[in-house]
Amino acid sequence: MNTELHEKRIPIIKIGNFLIVSIQVDMHDKLAIQLQSQILEEIEKTGAKGVLIDISVLEMVDSFIGRMLSGMASMASIMDAAVVIVGMQPAVAITLVELGLEMPGVDTALNMEKGMEMLERRIKDEDYELY
Amino acid sequence: MSETYNIEKVKERISHIEDILASVAAGDMDARVNSETEDDLSGIEAAIDLLIDDLTDELKQREKMQKEVEDKLIKIQEQQKTIFQQQADLMELSSPVSKVWDNTLILPVIGTLDSQRTQIMMENLLEKIVETGCTISILDITGVPTVDTQVANHLLKTVTSARLLGAECIISGISPAIAQTIVHLGIDLSSIKTKATLQDAMIYAMKQNKLSENVKLQTLFTNPDENED
Amino acid sequence: MLQLTSDSTWEQLGKHPIETEYDIVNVRQFIRFYAKGLKMGIIDQTRITTAVSELLRNMYNYGGGGEVTIEKGIVDEKNTLIVTCVDQGPGIENLDLAMSDGYTSGNGMGFGLPGAKRLVDRFEIKSETNKGTIVRVMKWK
Repeated sequence: MNTELHEKRIPIIKIGNFLIVSIQVDMHDKLAIQLQSQILEEIEKTGAKGVLIDISVLEMVDSFIGRMLSGMASMASIMDAAVVIVGMQPAVAITLVELGLEMPGVDTALNMEKGMEMLERRIKDEDYELY
Repeated sequence: MSETYNIEKVKERISHIEDILASVAAGDMDARVNSETEDDLSGIEAAIDLLIDDLTDELKQREKMQKEVEDKLIKIQEQQKTIFQQQADLMELSSPVSKVWDNTLILPVIGTLDSQRTQIMMENLLEKIVETGCTISILDITGVPTVDTQVANHLLKTVTSARLLGAECIISGISPAIAQTIVHLGIDLSSIKTKATLQDAMIYAMKQNKLSENVKLQTLFTNPDENED
Repeated sequence: MLQLTSDSTWEQLGKHPIETEYDIVNVRQFIRFYAKGLKMGIIDQTRITTAVSELLRNMYNYGGGGEVTIEKGIVDEKNTLIVTCVDQGPGIENLDLAMSDGYTSGNGMGFGLPGAKRLVDRFEIKSETNKGTIVRVMKWK
């Protein structure tokens, strides 16, 4: 049973130019790091310009997972993809602030729809810079 | 001959008295000797019955009083519960969050803010933000003259938490006293958006909404189907 | 092994070894469950669960694993959840330093402690070099 859990992978779906990652499980540290690598690999493989990480099911985000998400955003931006964290629960937000993890520079949106709008805006803005 | 007859009977009656006394000791408050004979022994039997009457009366009184005290206690506990509930309701009512127009929430705060009330306010606002999907909220503290450092911290926590959710929380109506408290806390002021009056905050909110409306329209007019891979 | 005395009136809810990462995930669920049972609001449930997660991580990554005891009892007249984490690892060299904000001790042990402390109502820690560390946190309704 343990090996099954270890091989559990969080699904990454591609929709248009974006990757959608929906975190539905309480992650242990290894899984979180695995996810980070997975997402970066997918960005490279698909050339996706945006990643939406849906944490609406997560009831808890501690300092490790918080830093993983921040790190994710930075790494992805180096690979020219924008990350938006979507659906954070109020209790999670408050706890992160109290932990001292304010995640500056990480884009967040209330839900998928708004997250996609944000990403689309980001991409359109970049396109404008070309002309 | 009547002598021996009497002794047997007397023995019976004495043993009956012992039984009754044992029953009373065991808790049977209704046990009585109830002698029907009228002779020298019956005097004692009647006296014993009277004694048992007095004893059980006292016991019954005590039981009744204890029950009354217990009932009163339960009543008081229920009243306490009601009071707590009412206090909680009052706290909730005292800071209603109202949606003003599309995408904007307003939370007007009136009166003294203590740490507990501010925390409840914060939780309510954040829940409402997620529930309604409004990206702009205005916390108007025109009606709040001063805050202590704890409350100021909670207010700032509210703004930061809203940001983490993906929404913006503007604080309007900050009094000079509160402005001083916030600055003394050494908070990075660039992280909070403040407006002098509720009106200013609402105008700001309208502008923000207009901006995102424009971008939404922009996005609609460029080809949305070119993303099929 | 370091010890912190438990009040005899406390009721033990669970005792869990922390040997694998799945143990951490499991205990997190238990903490949430018991906090709910004490009728804590969702924010407080999240606070105590997150705080314990920080402690468990320290225990697992730097303490070589250990044991968590979950109890409930009355503290200061309030219904309280008490979580005690013990490990027999290297211990924290400079406790004061480790408890100050933004500090990571040499081998990483102790990071996350100041954060956890902010999330709970009471925080006790004892640590001795090469003997181990014991941390107890409390959250009340």
